[in-house]
Amino acid sequence: MPPNLTLRTPRVHHARFTPLAFLLPALLLYGLFVALPIGESFRLSFLRWPSEFGRPVYVGLDNFRDLLYARPVFSRVFWSALWHNALLVVLSLAVQLPLAMFLAVLLSYPTRGRGVFRTFFFAPMVMPTVAIAILWGYVYLPERGLLDQAIRWFDASFGGAWLSNPNTVFLCVFVTICWRYTGFHMVIYMAGIATIPEELYEAGRIDGAGEWGLFRHVTLPLLKPATVVSATLSVIGSLKYFDLMYMMAEGAPETSRELIATYIFRLGIGSGANRFGYGSAAAVMLFVLALVAATAITRRRRGTA
Amino acid sequence: MKAKTLVRAVLRHGVLLVFLVVGGYPLVWMGFSAVRREGEVRSAPFALPTQTNLENFSAVLASGGFGRAYLNSLIVCAASVLLAGMASAMAGYAFARMRFRMKETLFYLLLAGMMIPIHVTLIPLNRLLGSSGIGLKNTYWALIGPYVGFALPISILILRGAFENVPIELEDAARIDGCNAWGVFWRVALPLVRPALATVVIFNFLTMWNEFAFALTLISNESMYTLPLALWRFKGEHGINLTQTCAALCVAVLPVFVVYCFAQRHIIRGLTAGALRQ
Repeated sequence: MPPNLTLRTPRVHHARFTPLAFLLPALLLYGLFVALPIGESFRLSFLRWPSEFGRPVYVGLDNFRDLLYARPVFSRVFWSALWHNALLVVLSLAVQLPLAMFLAVLLSYPTRGRGVFRTFFFAPMVMPTVAIAILWGYVYLPERGLLDQAIRWFDASFGGAWLSNPNTVFLCVFVTICWRYTGFHMVIYMAGIATIPEELYEAGRIDGAGEWGLFRHVTLPLLKPATVVSATLSVIGSLKYFDLMYMMAEGAPETSRELIATYIFRLGIGSGANRFGYGSAAAVMLFVLALVAATAITRRRRGTA
Repeated sequence: MKAKTLVRAVLRHGVLLVFLVVGGYPLVWMGFSAVRREGEVRSAPFALPTQTNLENFSAVLASGGFGRAYLNSLIVCAASVLLAGMASAMAGYAFARMRFRMKETLFYLLLAGMMIPIHVTLIPLNRLLGSSGIGLKNTYWALIGPYVGFALPISILILRGAFENVPIELEDAARIDGCNAWGVFWRVALPLVRPALATVVIFNFLTMWNEFAFALTLISNESMYTLPLALWRFKGEHGINLTQTCAALCVAVLPVFVVYCFAQRHIIRGLTAGALRQ
């Protein structure tokens, strides 16, 4: 005799509007503050303001054309921003993730004060990015900064304008970005390592594998899901990155300091000039880029899962 | 063999310690500099503080407007967290338990919000909320709206998963006892997803507490500054003065670190759970 199944039949919601009532607050807020502004961004990207307070005129795709190639004042900066975003994606994947995995693997062995290490490595994640930008601004400060002072132990006359030199500014900010996010990825890897059954290591040891062999043939392959999560977050995060680059690199030349997000801000808000149209065109391109990247990654993950 | 493992363990701890010292040094330096005198920091930046000098802190508290900024940040974050939690719990419950048309489409549209760079909305929001729009700039609502809007996707994702794991028998029992849909949600399902709700609250609160771009765009009135903005302005005016700025950094960061030390397990889980759920 099977258990009484009547309870398991799909429940009919008599009030047809109940789901709507539950969804309404979220849909309203999301529509008003996310969807509507995005739509408005598309509309603004076709407009141009001839004068500060004048009415905008419709210019079709001219804003896009100017950003992409027609006016070097804009296109040079736009392409440099695109390049910096690409560089940030690649460097984050190539530096942050291996470093995070390295630290997580070290901590997976019996370690004194394991919790303390984890707490401290993760700590920058709870700091406001403004505080990080200011603090690291003092690390890179010319002459009086910690970096220059440390170098002066070896070379007493050294002085580097780290954050205003176009050749160093990006890497310097990237180091700070690593300082903030590596602990985060480390925790993701630690969670991944915790799911690997101890028996696999024992079996490997019985088969005569050394520590490197165990890492290579047990830890690394079984950390693939964690790597996928970390890499996804890294790529999406790097594409839309803004905070530290905007705050730390103010003093550098335009073509060496912008990401797309910071360029949008400087065009549409920070400059005070009437460049909303250009800013919105850049925003539309960032939106499309982020969406394409996200779709590609989800597709791939579906495929491999 | 024994010796080899010992050497390895020492090496491992050594490497970790090097990372800890190098990585942690800026924070230590910040704390030291906050209690030193400007001249000392200039002449010997790496030296230890010789005495505890609180003048920098009193200067910061007298000039920075940090009290007001703390209050503003608390109001904005508390309201946003509450609103986002409530709206996403209701929506998450609907996605987990109810059947309606276009459910999948709606869910993915909401989820797409996680991938959208907030910066795409800065220019339109600046105009729509500005004086030529509905004039909400420089009010708490100017920040609460976008904060909640962009908190919804991840919150709904986490909460939907939690609601799906609530045993349906409990909800059925409540329904037989005469609860309507709201009663089942509010009295039975919601209390059972408290851990997920805590995750959502922690994640959203910290994200909003540290948020910079929206605040910079939508708030220009000093009396409405949030903590990051107050800190940024302080650096703009007093950045030359390392010790005072370090004291301001401490004022802004230490309370968060204290909370972090006590609740670090929850905070680490809260900040990474969003990631691990994807």
